[in-house]
Amino acid sequence: MSNWQTYRELIDVNAPALIAAAGLAIGASLLGVFVVLRREGLLALALPQVVAVGAAVGLRMDWNFLPPAIAAAVIALLVTAWSRARRTSHLLLPALYIGGLSVSVLLIANSAAHLHEVQHLLAGEDVFVSWQQAYLAAPTLIAAGVTAAVLWRRWLLLAQSPTAARVAGLRPARWDALFLVLLAAAVVVGTSVSGILMVLACLFLPAATVLPWAKRVPGALITSVVASLIFLAGGFIMSIEMDWPLSQSVGGVGFAALIVSHVAAAIFA
Amino acid sequence: MRVEIDNAVFGYARRPVVRVNNLALAPGRGLGVFGPNGSGKTTLLRGIMGLLEPMEGMVQRDGEVLPAYLPQHREMELHWPMSGFDAASLWASAKEQFGRLGHGVRAAVREKMSLLDVADLENRSFPRLSGGQQQRLLLAGLLATRPNLIVLDEPTDGLDTRSTRTLLSHLRDVRDKGRASIVLVSHDIDDLVELCHEVALLHPAESPDEPATVEIVPIEQLPSHILRAGAPT
Repeated sequence: MSNWQTYRELIDVNAPALIAAAGLAIGASLLGVFVVLRREGLLALALPQVVAVGAAVGLRMDWNFLPPAIAAAVIALLVTAWSRARRTSHLLLPALYIGGLSVSVLLIANSAAHLHEVQHLLAGEDVFVSWQQAYLAAPTLIAAGVTAAVLWRRWLLLAQSPTAARVAGLRPARWDALFLVLLAAAVVVGTSVSGILMVLACLFLPAATVLPWAKRVPGALITSVVASLIFLAGGFIMSIEMDWPLSQSVGGVGFAALIVSHVAAAIFA
Repeated sequence: MRVEIDNAVFGYARRPVVRVNNLALAPGRGLGVFGPNGSGKTTLLRGIMGLLEPMEGMVQRDGEVLPAYLPQHREMELHWPMSGFDAASLWASAKEQFGRLGHGVRAAVREKMSLLDVADLENRSFPRLSGGQQQRLLLAGLLATRPNLIVLDEPTDGLDTRSTRTLLSHLRDVRDKGRASIVLVSHDIDDLVELCHEVALLHPAESPDEPATVEIVPIEQLPSHILRAGAPT
């Protein structure tokens, strides 16, 4: 068992990464509630893989990570919107997932150093985060999540009756586009600082853990954030005590909590 | 007249779905919509509500028309966690900026919930309520915004007899006291007789390229085979 001094030193060394991860834990867990409820899981799985393609292009061309990653996310969203209009997104999204997973590696297959970087990006291992990145990423991620949370009644209405929303003068397609932009922003920024695995863990696990107990959306949002921060803290402790990578530790803690939550909900809820 | 439709064809892309001649909705009147599945009932509703522009012909709405649409409770996404009040305030939230409810709107929703005798369901889990309770909560929220054109798509589907009578009785009050125009889609002739003055009978065309036609019939002149058998499917 490590002592408090060891923890303090590790927190000091990893402070920018932890601050960025905390921003991701808050923002993604808020968005994740709506990802799960709106059944956008396939898109949320595919989007980071497409972002990885953009990142691979950036690495290959010695560019900055963000511009090609953002471009890839924008293209993915446009293609998704088009396929939804044609009612073929159920075919496209799994293909985007596996295509992104393959192409991101193929693009840099002959470059050993870059291959490692992309693999680290996928797994979220050894991702270096500067203070500047942390100061930019954490508020952006929290803002995306809080924006989605504030609009919870809008998402509820659009899910329950898009026709009623249209009759009331709303344009569901525009609101759907806003949600996808918020999700894409969180995925791109979160991937750049914490890796894809951490993004997915924070999107899915807290929401899926708390929703079996939720009576209302606001309660689900608050408990999802709390659960996400607990998973991050638990994962951090596990990563130190067991010498495990952080993202996988957070995912492992979250998954264990999810199993307990669902079993308990089946018995008591 | 709130809405007048004359010689209009509604459809999607270039495919005409339904042709309507001389359909008029006046304050305090009820119009039933009756026809087999796939005959264009939903398309007709979308045309009446202004969600579809006519491919040809004319639709006139008076400047004061405030349409509202009551969705089928059976089509709702009940995996969303929501209280009775959350569900009741769905429609009202659509009218508010970013969906946020002010004190006035909350009070109006609660007032209508009391009127429809569902005030005690405010904090109950909406997905766990009966169909009749769910439908009354949705109607309460809809009435809180004081619409004068209410469109209902099979609102009594899946309800027991008592819930159906209660719901229709509230709707009759809104029609008569509130002077609202009501458009009701139903497969149940009893519902139409209870609430409607005329019925729009949809007759599918023999060719799939031709639109269905709409015949407006006073409720007391409904053909006897329809009164006996209900809607063909």
